[in-house]
Amino acid sequence: MDFNPEVVERISLKIEEMGVTVDREKVVSKLKLLVSEFGIPVEEAERTVTNELMREYNLTGPGSQSGNTSELKEISDCQPDDWVTVEAKVVSLSIPPSTAIAQKGIADDGSGAIEFVVWEKAKANIPELEERKWYRFESAVIDEFRGAPNMKIHSGTKITLIDEDRPLIPTIAQIANLKPGVASVRVKVMQDWETRHDQMEQTGIVGDETGTIKFVTWKNNNQEKLELDKVYTLYYSTVDEYQGRLSLNLTNAMIMREDGADIEVATGNSSVSGVFIHMGSGSGLIKRCKVEGCTRALSRQNYCPVHEIQNEFRYDLRITGVVDDGQKATNVLIQREETEKLSGIILNKAIEIAENNPLGLDDVFLKMQTNVMGRYVTCKGNDIDGTILVKDIEIMKFSSERHASLLNRAGESLGGAE
Amino acid sequence: MSTSGNNGQARTYMREPARRVFATEFRESRLQFKAGDDEFSPSYVMLPTGERSNRIFICGIMTQKEKKGDQNMFYTARIRDPTGLFFINAGGYQPEAMQQISQIEEKAYVAVVGKPTVRETPDGSVFVSVRAESVTEIDLETYKCWVDDTAEQTLNRLDAFGSTDDSINAKEFYSTNPEVFRTAVFDALKQIEI
Repeated sequence: MDFNPEVVERISLKIEEMGVTVDREKVVSKLKLLVSEFGIPVEEAERTVTNELMREYNLTGPGSQSGNTSELKEISDCQPDDWVTVEAKVVSLSIPPSTAIAQKGIADDGSGAIEFVVWEKAKANIPELEERKWYRFESAVIDEFRGAPNMKIHSGTKITLIDEDRPLIPTIAQIANLKPGVASVRVKVMQDWETRHDQMEQTGIVGDETGTIKFVTWKNNNQEKLELDKVYTLYYSTVDEYQGRLSLNLTNAMIMREDGADIEVATGNSSVSGVFIHMGSGSGLIKRCKVEGCTRALSRQNYCPVHEIQNEFRYDLRITGVVDDGQKATNVLIQREETEKLSGIILNKAIEIAENNPLGLDDVFLKMQTNVMGRYVTCKGNDIDGTILVKDIEIMKFSSERHASLLNRAGESLGGAE
Repeated sequence: MSTSGNNGQARTYMREPARRVFATEFRESRLQFKAGDDEFSPSYVMLPTGERSNRIFICGIMTQKEKKGDQNMFYTARIRDPTGLFFINAGGYQPEAMQQISQIEEKAYVAVVGKPTVRETPDGSVFVSVRAESVTEIDLETYKCWVDDTAEQTLNRLDAFGSTDDSINAKEFYSTNPEVFRTAVFDALKQIEI
């Protein structure tokens, strides 16, 4: 059996709560069929088996059980597994990712926005949804997809067009309070990174008064590119969660630029003290693209991810590394000035080494490594998505006061043992 | 396996911190375990003062550097700290550390980042060593900083001994006497000239 007996217990209890006795063996055999024979994920099978049993015993679903589904609900109150009725405006439609899905988009009712999908199978019963129109969705199901709530429109959902344009002001969320789902934010563009993927249009960091977040725009519908240091309101961007970190997906967002505005972004002054324990391969002397507005690092073959082969370039110094205090390892990014201070190698010297040495850039890397690895440092700067952009670095010195107080601490607690 | 805290841990990749430990404590390590059953779950060596280590950071004087093997060449060396010796090695899977060791002369102060390993030798004794990831020559000043840092972190572990899950496990497995390690810390500190 490749599923947990708890699942059987959970299903049985759920059914028994409604006043029917369930044969555990029956539950097991149903589950086994789905999981072992058809290879269906256990969570999915659990739901299917529960529904199947409820139908068998003529029980009503949890949604309709908890009162009237035709009662109007606000999107911001919708929870996974709810059967809901909402009145909302379709604010955007996007290309369905699968042939099983007829339409995909975002609906907003003023309290919040949610992604929705219309199953291909449900298409027959409902009108084709159009952007910027209001609809009443009856008996839609709220589901969870990759941690974000999602409204499913199935063959039992009734949709009626509301023939009036109601005023709608999207709620602007703060970055610190974002959750997976759909959100509108007003932000300043803090960083514009090299894209690491062919399909990626743009990626970087945006921030508001409460924090910063990574953003990604995928190539598909000529989305507007964000410009560094400008302020934008990003309506209906998708908040994704990946490995516990949130990011904004702007591929289908509505982007409004605000000229002349500025936001004081909360970056938080972070500081980390510890050993310089790892130096990343992008460290040392690097070449940057000289095309105006582009400062991307070139690869060894002088290839810029955007402007391709560049024979003109500008040298720069940087260190990407890890500072470790014995309890936690923190990524740090050190720009030229502080790199020179830490490594004792200034840019001109590094260029000289690289150009007069058969190992070239590698030689600068190795020399830098010898000078920084294993050293105790204190880095201060802005914490952006877990990496500290170091503004100031200090090499720690041996302190005789600290030493004396440690001697006291060790000696004192020894007590009679000494 | 033998420790708690392996379920419900976030899937996020977090670099394992490098623990600070003196040779005298490190060489007493025996308990090796994996957190989780996954192929990629990190493996740890439990330090006798009660903290799991997947990586350690040590400093000291390098001695008895030796090149071994022909086809699969590797280096071994010893690192002397104020309390005793660490055995380090670096083979084909640690090319960076191997090159670094080959270029550093004996008697130099070095900083080593590496993975702790405990293995049983064919004759039944236990060999505790460090598989080096990186070895760098450092100055005396950095070495002294490390001694203070390691003293402080060892004392922190001893102060928390018996109150954390890891240290309760360590206590049960090693029957650690905290006084022994406190004395070692004190002696290590005394050897540093101010």
